[in-house]
Amino acid sequence: MGLVTRKKLFSIMALCAMVGLLLLPIVMSLPSPAAGEEAPAADAAKKDGDKVEKGRDVYYKTEGIVVGAPAPKTTDGPKDYPRYNFESRVLLWFANQQHLYYGSFVLAVPIFCMVIEFMGVVTKDKALAKRYDQLAYDFIKISLTAYSLTAILGGILIFTFLTLYPAFFGYLSSIFRPVMHIYALMFVAESGTLYIYYYGWDKMKEGFLKWIHLSMSVILNVIGTLLMFLANSWIGFMMSPAGVDEQGRFLGNIWHVLHTALWNPLNVHRILGNMAFGGGVVAAYAAYKFLAAKTDEDRAHYDWMGYIAMALGVAFLIPLPFAGYWLMREVYAYRQQMGITLMGGLLAWLFIIQATMIGILFLSTNYYLWQAMGRMRGAEKYQRYIKYLVFLLACGFLVFITPHTMVMTPAELKAMGGQQHPVLGNYGVMSAKNGGINVIITTTVLSFVWYMRGNKVSTVSWAKFGNIFMGVFFACAYVNIIWLAIYGYYIPANVRVGLSVPQVATTLSCLFFMFALNSVMMKGAKQMGPIEWGKISARSQYALIMLATAFTWMMGLMGYIRSSVRLFWHVNEIMRDNSPWAYTHTVGFAANMISFNVLFFWISILFVFWLGSLTAKKVPVEAKAGVPGSAPQPAGSH
Amino acid sequence: MGQSIVYGIISLIICVAYFTLVDHFLMDMQGLDYWYLFRK
Repeated sequence: MGLVTRKKLFSIMALCAMVGLLLLPIVMSLPSPAAGEEAPAADAAKKDGDKVEKGRDVYYKTEGIVVGAPAPKTTDGPKDYPRYNFESRVLLWFANQQHLYYGSFVLAVPIFCMVIEFMGVVTKDKALAKRYDQLAYDFIKISLTAYSLTAILGGILIFTFLTLYPAFFGYLSSIFRPVMHIYALMFVAESGTLYIYYYGWDKMKEGFLKWIHLSMSVILNVIGTLLMFLANSWIGFMMSPAGVDEQGRFLGNIWHVLHTALWNPLNVHRILGNMAFGGGVVAAYAAYKFLAAKTDEDRAHYDWMGYIAMALGVAFLIPLPFAGYWLMREVYAYRQQMGITLMGGLLAWLFIIQATMIGILFLSTNYYLWQAMGRMRGAEKYQRYIKYLVFLLACGFLVFITPHTMVMTPAELKAMGGQQHPVLGNYGVMSAKNGGINVIITTTVLSFVWYMRGNKVSTVSWAKFGNIFMGVFFACAYVNIIWLAIYGYYIPANVRVGLSVPQVATTLSCLFFMFALNSVMMKGAKQMGPIEWGKISARSQYALIMLATAFTWMMGLMGYIRSSVRLFWHVNEIMRDNSPWAYTHTVGFAANMISFNVLFFWISILFVFWLGSLTAKKVPVEAKAGVPGSAPQPAGSH
Repeated sequence: MGQSIVYGIISLIICVAYFTLVDHFLMDMQGLDYWYLFRK
C-alpha cells in the first residue's frame, strides 16, 4: 500500500473515530431521554405495590412520576455551607469566571480556525492560501495551551462547588446526573479531536487530506458547541427551572430539564459572545506582537492577524445586542419581575455600565477601522466624512447610556423637579435606547463598507447607480431607525415593544444587503494601491487591546448580572440560598471583583502567550522563511 | 447631474417602499398594528 493511500486511510479512520466520539455520548444517553426515567421507577413501584407519586412540572405543567428527591432545605452552617474565613461566593465567582473566560476562548478559537482554514482551502491564490493556513495554525496553537488551563480551572470549579456548596451541588448533580456524564464524555471527545486536529496539521496539509482535516475541525466545533449547550442548561435550570415539581423533585424527563425557558436564548447569546470574545483576545495578542515586533515583516504579519481576528470578532459582536435583546425578552416572558429586577430595578445601574461598555466596544471598532484605512492608498476620500460618523456614534452612544432615573439628594431632586430630568429623562427608555444602539451598529456597518472599498474603485457599468443607491439606503435606514424610536413614544407599550423587530431588521438589512451589494460592485474593481500591512498607527493597536479588555470586562459584568438576578435563590423559586451571602453586592464591590477577574485573566493569558512563544522560538530559521506576512499583500477578504 | 438626481429619486422610492414594508410586515407578524397611531 502506498504511503499516500495509507495516509488517506488513516485520516479517514481518524475522522470516523471523531464522529464515533461525537455520537458515543448521545447513543449512550438515548435510553434515558427517550423513555424518561419514569419507566423503571414506575415498574419498581408497581412491583412493590407502592402508590406511584406524581408531580406537576413547574414550567411545562405536565404530569410526571416523581423519581428524584426534593430540593434540600439548607440552613446556614458547616453542613450545607462549609467555609473558610472568607466569603465562599466570591471564591466561587472567581473560579467560575476564570473557567468561563478560558472556556469561551478555547471554544471560539477553533471556530475561527475552521473559518480561516476553509478560506485557505477555497482561495485560489496559493500564497494567500498558505497565509490563511499558517494563521489558522497560529490560532489553534494559542488555544491548545489555554485548553489545558481550561480543564484545570474546570477541576478547580468543581472542587469549589463540592467543598463550599455541597448541598446545592449535590442537588444539581442529582438532577443532571446523565447530562453530567455526557458532558464528561464530550469533554474526552473534544480533547481527543483537538489533539488529532492539531498534531495532524502537517500530515494532512494538501488535497483530499486537507478536506479531511477541515472536516475534523467541523466535528471539533460541533462537539465544543454541544459542550457549551450542556453547560448552559445548568445555568438555564438555575434561572428558569423546568422538569421538576414545585418541591424540586425530578419528574423523569431530562429533556424538560435541559430545555428550559431560557436555554436557547442563552445558547445563542453565549455562542456569539464567545466568538466576539475570542476574536478580541486573539486581536489583542496580535496587537501586542505588532507593538513588540522588531521587523517590518513581523509587523505586517501581526497587523494582518489582528485585522482578521478583529473582523471575525466584530462579525459576531454586531448581532450580539440582538441576541441579548431576545434573551431579555424571554426573561420578561418567563418572569416579568425578573426582567424588572434586571433592567428597571436592583440591577439597572449595572445595565447602564453595560451600555457604556457596549458603546466603547463599537467606538473602538470604528476607530480601528478608520485608522486601518490609513494603510491603503485611495481611502483618503473617506477621511473627511469620518467626522459625521463620529457625530452619529456620539449621539447614539449618549442616548444609549442615559439612565432613566438618577440617584439624587432631596435638594437635587427638588431642583430637577422629579426623578427624571425634563429633557434627558426621555432618553432613558427602551424606545430611545433601541434607536441609539441601532444607529451605532449601522454606523459600524458603514465604516466596514468604507474600509472594504477603501483602496478600490468599482468598474461595473452601473457603479454610479450602485453608489447612490448605497448612500440612499443607509440614509433611509438611519431615518427609519430614528423614526421608529420616536414613534414609540406615541403608541402604547404593548405595541411599542414590537418596534424593536423592524429596527433590528433595518440594521441587519444594511449589514447583509450593503455588504452583498458592495462585494458585487467591487468584483474586478480597480485597485488604487495595495494594502500596506504593517503601516498602521500604533494607536489602532491600542484600540484592539481596548476592544479585548472592554469585552472581557463586559463579559464578567453580564455574567454577574445574569447570576445575581436569582437574588436569594440557588435555583429560582425551588431551592433557596440560605448562606450568609444571599444578598446582592453593591455596584462598587461587583465592579472591583469584575476588574480583579479581568486583570487575573489577562495576566494568566499573557503567561499562556509567553508559553506559546517559547515553542515558536524553537522553529528553525528555514522553516520560518515561508511564514506569511513576509510580503504585504492584499487579503482576499477586501 | 440630472442622471444623479434620477438615480437618487429611484433609489429613494425603492428604499422608502422597502423600509415601509419591513416595518409593516414585521409588526404584522407579531400581531401588532404598525399604523396604530394613524388609525386612532
